[in-house]
Amino acid sequence: MNGFSFIDLRLLLPELLLAGTVLILFAGDTLLPDPVHKRRYLTLLALLGLLASAAAALDLSALMLDYGRPLTAIFTGQVAVDPIAMLFKVLFAAITVVGVLTSLLSDELPDKHMGEYYALLLSICFGMFLMASANDLLMVYLALELVSIVSFAMAGYRMHDKRSSEAALKYVIYGGAASGAMLFGMSLLYGMVGTTELTAINHGLVTLSGAPLVAAGIPERVFPLMMVVAVTLVFVGIGYKIAVVPFHMWSPDVYEGSPTPFTGFLSVGPKAAGFALLLRFFIGTLIPGSGGPGYDLDVRGVMPMAVDMPLPAVIGIIAAATMTVGNLAAIPQNNVKRMLAYSSIAHAGYLLMGFVVLSPSALHAVAFYLVIYFVMNIGAFTVVQAVRDRTGGEELHDFRGLGQRAPLLAIAMVIFLLSLTGLPPLAGFIGKFYLFAAVVKRNELWYWVLAMIAVVNSAVSLYYYMRVARAMFLTEPVKDEPLNVGLGYHVVTTALAVPVLVLGLYWAPLSRSITRSLSFYRAPAVVSPVAATTTPAPAPAAVPSPSLAPAGARH
Amino acid sequence: MELDFLAVLAVFVAGFLFVFLTLTVGKLLRPHNPYPDKNATYECGERPIGEAWIQFNPRFYLIALIFLIFDVEIAFVFPIATVFKRFIAEGNGVLAFVELFIFMAVLLLGLVYVWVKGDLMWVKQITRPAPVKAEPGNPT
Repeated sequence: MNGFSFIDLRLLLPELLLAGTVLILFAGDTLLPDPVHKRRYLTLLALLGLLASAAAALDLSALMLDYGRPLTAIFTGQVAVDPIAMLFKVLFAAITVVGVLTSLLSDELPDKHMGEYYALLLSICFGMFLMASANDLLMVYLALELVSIVSFAMAGYRMHDKRSSEAALKYVIYGGAASGAMLFGMSLLYGMVGTTELTAINHGLVTLSGAPLVAAGIPERVFPLMMVVAVTLVFVGIGYKIAVVPFHMWSPDVYEGSPTPFTGFLSVGPKAAGFALLLRFFIGTLIPGSGGPGYDLDVRGVMPMAVDMPLPAVIGIIAAATMTVGNLAAIPQNNVKRMLAYSSIAHAGYLLMGFVVLSPSALHAVAFYLVIYFVMNIGAFTVVQAVRDRTGGEELHDFRGLGQRAPLLAIAMVIFLLSLTGLPPLAGFIGKFYLFAAVVKRNELWYWVLAMIAVVNSAVSLYYYMRVARAMFLTEPVKDEPLNVGLGYHVVTTALAVPVLVLGLYWAPLSRSITRSLSFYRAPAVVSPVAATTTPAPAPAAVPSPSLAPAGARH
Repeated sequence: MELDFLAVLAVFVAGFLFVFLTLTVGKLLRPHNPYPDKNATYECGERPIGEAWIQFNPRFYLIALIFLIFDVEIAFVFPIATVFKRFIAEGNGVLAFVELFIFMAVLLLGLVYVWVKGDLMWVKQITRPAPVKAEPGNPT
């Protein structure tokens, strides 16, 4: 490795474009003196940068899928360049585009600070790009911290608002504890296999489990226990980001206190990035196999080395608890933002079901649902933001009579809420259908139980979503005159409502492109340092052969 | 397995005992002779002025943060400066220079940013924003 290679940078183009945009945004913030100009031009700049980086990601994805460019990991295996990462990068760019647009419309953010607001928002997007690509424990940690630390600042963005400061403080404290736990888990993983690269960890674990552990000086039972502790602790860090149940406490307060456009972004962006990371972590470290387009995923293949750890059961219980707690806690909420915060916890539970199964169809369902969830959830938050900007409140009674005062907005809100519930003609139904089908396909009692819990939860969620609809259409408005929502909000909410309707009827193209993109980079099976010292001849059955890994050719 | 963890337990116990024993033995052996100068907070040999628990200006914190950025910059630039001749020998001199220049430019942008935003001033005017305009007559 002597220093420089140009090829690395072209593979990093989406990130580079985004980083360049962040720098130009900072420069623009200092150069433009007029606050109104600032808002206008910097929004344009941020959008251009995001679109450029999304285009670069699409281009890279096409290079790999259509022209057979081998999947690689650049910077000595730190950042994976594979179709699944590119898919998520396009999704994150789209999420941030909507985040920029809703921020542009918001009254909560003063013109003066828009430059740094956009710069920070795009920095989070940059961190999410890295989370989707992180192929090494170091990069996992760095990317997660980049997203977290900037999010702390954004949560406390309304400087003189006490609730905003409270949100930031809670977020920081929870975040610090979670990353500490995750780092400890990572250190254990590193201690077991002597490498930090995710796929190399998998090879090391497979090799270790194949060899007689006692000969290596490791008593047999220690290994699964250490494995359980390590995986659990790493899961704490990622689980905090996606707000699954034992680590969800921060989210309602943070969602309520943050500026509304950022709340909408927070509820989909970092959450989707957390799921992307979880996907790569699970597939990378825990499942032996090629990971290529024809990868062989099977739940019985998950960690044959740790038979003591019933991973699907653990994740299944967490998923069931997450959706149940989220839905039950959402019922009594009168603050709509808070209600949506609990609902997004519940949705994390649904998504986690895909990780119980970890079959190709489950991965497809998770990626598909993340796209749908992004559109409908950020749509609902945009309506809340419009109501908050125009009436000054986000409580349920501020929505009263919205059906008469701003009919378009109210109809869009009903579409989003019904889709979040998962009712048939809408996109949310298709997403949930794929998820539930992937779980049921396993066709064992416990998978049926899990799917039933999810279905019952969806039914429960209808109640609190419909409370908002009832307030909008069936109760007397506090005031009669129409609400002057403005063109901007109408355009954004309609632009989000249309895909919810269309994807509910015609989802095949989206589904197909996701299926195509489901291939992961995997390092070629090298004998890890630990295994090299302990096992002179690793068992051939346990080590995935290099020929299975199409990515292995270029390293 | 249990035996392995016994070693960990032994370290815990030994660590606890060590602290406990040294403190107890010290307490038994040392003379007990307090006087005001001895009880005072140690401040490099000077007599302390005022309380140790005072409120200090949070500006220090910001300045420290800005200082840290440039501290890290130096930490990165020095190692490259020492091996720069080797980069030139390899024929990568221009590339290394450009990369370092980009790195410095990013940090310089940061300096310009804090300067323009007035964060290098000791006293900074903070204007409170106007309250969010609410619809009149709404019970919030």
